[in-house]
Amino acid sequence: MSLLWRYERLHVLYKRTAMLIGFFFILVLILIARLFYLQIIEGERYLELADKNRTAVRLTLPARGYIYDRNGVKLAENRKTFQAVLIREQAPDYLRTLENFQKLMPLSEEEVTRIKKEIKQKRPFMPIRIKDNLTFQEAALIQMNAPDLMGIQTEEEIMRVYPLGEYGAHVVGYVSLLTDRDMEKNPDSPLLDLPGYRIGRVGIEEAQESVLQGIPGMRKTEINVLGRTVRLLEEEKAVKGKNMALTIDARLQEEATKAMGEEAGAAIVVDVQTGDVLALVSTPSFDANLFTVPISTKTWNALIKNEKNPLQNKAVNGQYSPGSIFKLVVALAGLESGHITPERKVYCSGRVQIGKQYFHCWKRGGHGHLTLEEALMHSCDVYFYQLAQEIGPDKIAEVARRLGFGELTGIGITGEKKGLVPTREWKLKRYDDGWRLGDTLNYSIGQGYLTATPIQLTRAVAEIANGGYPLEMHLITSPDESRTDKVNRIKAQKRLFQTSHLRLVRSGMNMVVNQRRGTAYYSRIDVDGQKMAGKTASTQVRRITMKERKAGIVSQKDLPWKYRDHGLFAAFAPIEKPRFAVVVVAEHGGGGASAAAPIAARIMREALRLYPNDESLNNLFNPDIYPFSDDNLNDSDKADFKEKTADLQDTPVNASDTFITSQNDSMADTQKTDEVAQ
Amino acid sequence: MTFYKDHNCYWKNYRLTLIEKIKRFNYKFLFLICAVVFIGIGVLYSAANGSWHPWADKQLLRFFLSLSALTVVSLINYRLWLKYAYWIYGIGILLLLGVAVFGHVGMGAQRWLNLGIVNVQPSEVMKIALVLALARYFHNATLSDVRSIQYMIPPALMMIFPVGLIMEQPDLGTSLMLVFVTGAIFFVVGVQIWKFFVVIAGVSVCIPIIWTFLHDYQKQRVLTFLNPENDPLGAGYHIIQSKITIGSGGLFGKGFMESTQSRLNFLPEKQTDFIFTVLSEEFGFFGSTALIGLYFIIILYGFYIGYRSNNFFGKLLAIGLTVNFALYVFINIGMVSGLLPVVGVPLPLISYGGTAMLTLFVGFGLIESVYINREMVIGPNGANEDD
Repeated sequence: MSLLWRYERLHVLYKRTAMLIGFFFILVLILIARLFYLQIIEGERYLELADKNRTAVRLTLPARGYIYDRNGVKLAENRKTFQAVLIREQAPDYLRTLENFQKLMPLSEEEVTRIKKEIKQKRPFMPIRIKDNLTFQEAALIQMNAPDLMGIQTEEEIMRVYPLGEYGAHVVGYVSLLTDRDMEKNPDSPLLDLPGYRIGRVGIEEAQESVLQGIPGMRKTEINVLGRTVRLLEEEKAVKGKNMALTIDARLQEEATKAMGEEAGAAIVVDVQTGDVLALVSTPSFDANLFTVPISTKTWNALIKNEKNPLQNKAVNGQYSPGSIFKLVVALAGLESGHITPERKVYCSGRVQIGKQYFHCWKRGGHGHLTLEEALMHSCDVYFYQLAQEIGPDKIAEVARRLGFGELTGIGITGEKKGLVPTREWKLKRYDDGWRLGDTLNYSIGQGYLTATPIQLTRAVAEIANGGYPLEMHLITSPDESRTDKVNRIKAQKRLFQTSHLRLVRSGMNMVVNQRRGTAYYSRIDVDGQKMAGKTASTQVRRITMKERKAGIVSQKDLPWKYRDHGLFAAFAPIEKPRFAVVVVAEHGGGGASAAAPIAARIMREALRLYPNDESLNNLFNPDIYPFSDDNLNDSDKADFKEKTADLQDTPVNASDTFITSQNDSMADTQKTDEVAQ
Repeated sequence: MTFYKDHNCYWKNYRLTLIEKIKRFNYKFLFLICAVVFIGIGVLYSAANGSWHPWADKQLLRFFLSLSALTVVSLINYRLWLKYAYWIYGIGILLLLGVAVFGHVGMGAQRWLNLGIVNVQPSEVMKIALVLALARYFHNATLSDVRSIQYMIPPALMMIFPVGLIMEQPDLGTSLMLVFVTGAIFFVVGVQIWKFFVVIAGVSVCIPIIWTFLHDYQKQRVLTFLNPENDPLGAGYHIIQSKITIGSGGLFGKGFMESTQSRLNFLPEKQTDFIFTVLSEEFGFFGSTALIGLYFIIILYGFYIGYRSNNFFGKLLAIGLTVNFALYVFINIGMVSGLLPVVGVPLPLISYGGTAMLTLFVGFGLIESVYINREMVIGPNGANEDD
């Protein structure tokens, strides 16, 4: 064993070990350099990524602004309803839980399938909706049965509620869940990304969407890798949308809808001095609450397929020939152009011959000699045939436009239609045809190409009634301006017509209703001496053929509904110093006097009863002085709810016990007790 | 008792009393090891959101068990292991074969062998057995022996056989460690450096062939390593989250128990292979650098003990086991910081897990034994002589 051998071997071993140590030292430096890169150079970025990992920002739904009527009656409000959710990880045997739940509240086959599907798809801690729109009592029932319903929890949910139901559906509108189309229309709105957000449809809900919707809140929570919320980091409360008050009177709205009965059509009431709309009814209507929870296909199809078209707002959207109501316009045009004087009489023989064509008066035998007032009273067609020939269509069109025909009233409901005021130029352009005398005659009795919406007719009548002051139609109250100021502002405008002319026309309208032989005599009213004036109109939907005329089929009741005449009635009251104008359109009602006038009379009677004088219209509800701060759900509300259900468990549900709330109680409490009371 | 040179210290005359052994024990080395273990228990406590359960308490128990193992092993004269080195290696191979035939499948790999009372992980046994066998083989090797190719064939086979079996399990991390440990021992005993390059070149050529033998998940790991962002929610998730966790620690870290990534479970199995990230997130660059420093001191100490040994077997044993320990450190930290593919190597002394800790402590016990018996001389024939 040589020493050299051992020395050599050790020498190499030490040298190589030193090299190894050097190599390891380099590895250590590399690791430290790597950590330096990750933690110091890129540290900020990774810190951000870690923060992004651990936090989830969720928007919270703002409560929608309330809609009140002119007196503070709620037309649209939010109610706390409850929904039952299932959290699978808390349900050891979710199938049994579901079974037990169904014993309590039945679920449709469809729903059960959906729930089971969601149970399979969702993470065990994610709540699965079992049933929503539960009342407080139903939620309490679930809470009381908690031991049999392992995993089921009740959560509060804000639901839009329309207390008027079908009475205000068209004017107030409704809300419903979003469709893909809505997303495309407003790609930037953060609200639309929120599940459960319901957007306004039709009426004020649609038109005032941006005001009512409010500002979404934000919840920043810490989440773990599974997305489960660990704790709340930051919260910005959602801001409730603005409340607004409408010029509508809920009682009048309801009465008008009831007065319409089975008729399809529209009824409108306005304050002639301000243009405030007190009732805006379109029939048949539908329950606005139907859409808040997803509407069933069956109900939807029934609405869509109904020939009376319940979803259309006929008051602003329906375009009708104004018929004899337009004679008021022709009369004003004649007076203004000097073709008629109050004394001038025109002879009606029952028909007029133009070329080879006969134009009939509605009365076969004719009316004989008539003044303007009498012509209006009898609604004599021949008088106006004669008059229109003398005035010419240009003047009629000009006066019609002045009264707002052919243009939007700007009432503030989307989907309003313009109607049509035909002129020579228009006909040339549209039909490439000259204006004929027959067109003028049709014009004079409000038929032919001329169309107008009920709201336009209402404005025209209101302007005739208020002494010729131009009106803007309103649905939303303006809290900044008192009614007196508003009336003064309107009265400061230039009148559209001479007072004497208007007086004459109004006198004719008075005679229509209050003279024994007036067309609407049977619809006259007298509310404490306040009477109504008006004008009937029956417009043909189809021509009555010569054959039918000879065969004597003139009774509207013998015709199928679709072919019956439209019945219209435009009225104002009281005759001295008018307050209200009412227009009623009864589609295929058979006739203005028989179908529309009685409805208008009933509505007007209610209006005059509710507002016996000008002053009674003055007090408008101000939505801004009514603060509701607690519409958003929060924990204290939930605790509150738990407390209440605990009470319920101890004692049998006793409405009188839970119903008593002190004046200081928050609005939310009152709502809850409302629920109990139901 | 004082020792002088060969004749007095020849292993047959070399007898130490228990007291002497305890006196000669290297407490500084043990202290460094225990320091790392306690840091680890603290991190496990934090990783469980400030709870002893479920990891820290068990880890503490395992520490005490491993510590007693270390004590027992250190008090045994390692000449015994020189004598039985091949037997131990043989048992290791048998156990590996046993796993291949009867093994338990856990976490997608077949690594465990149920011996009735305990579950044994033979690949861990092999880490020590291979070092023992190689040290035994080179104990009497001359430099010219080492430089001849025929002489190097048996030790190469000693490595290739278990590596093949472990690859089959499959456990890429342990296989690589065995390869590297063997390589390091070959390197220190004096195999010419050019031969390493030849082997590396040869392996590079073979990589496409080896590739076809790799399991899909192993391929996936390598591919993911090459481009983790490719599959951020799948295979790359681990490494991306791991980098986020380390990086978000910054200079000083978020503070003890303030780790969000760990607390919110963004890293699955953070208590085992990815435990370094928790420490990095909570103690930042300073904390993780300090830990690496501590590890490096332990490594240096291991080499120092090898240097102090008076016989070749002891030196190789200490160096081999130290290299084994160092490989754990470098591979694990390299892997969690995105420098190496995720091959499933735990962070030594810190990662939750009993077998690795026990193996390491047995290894440290051997190193301590080398230190305690540092003056002992064992001749070239020492392995074959009887007591």
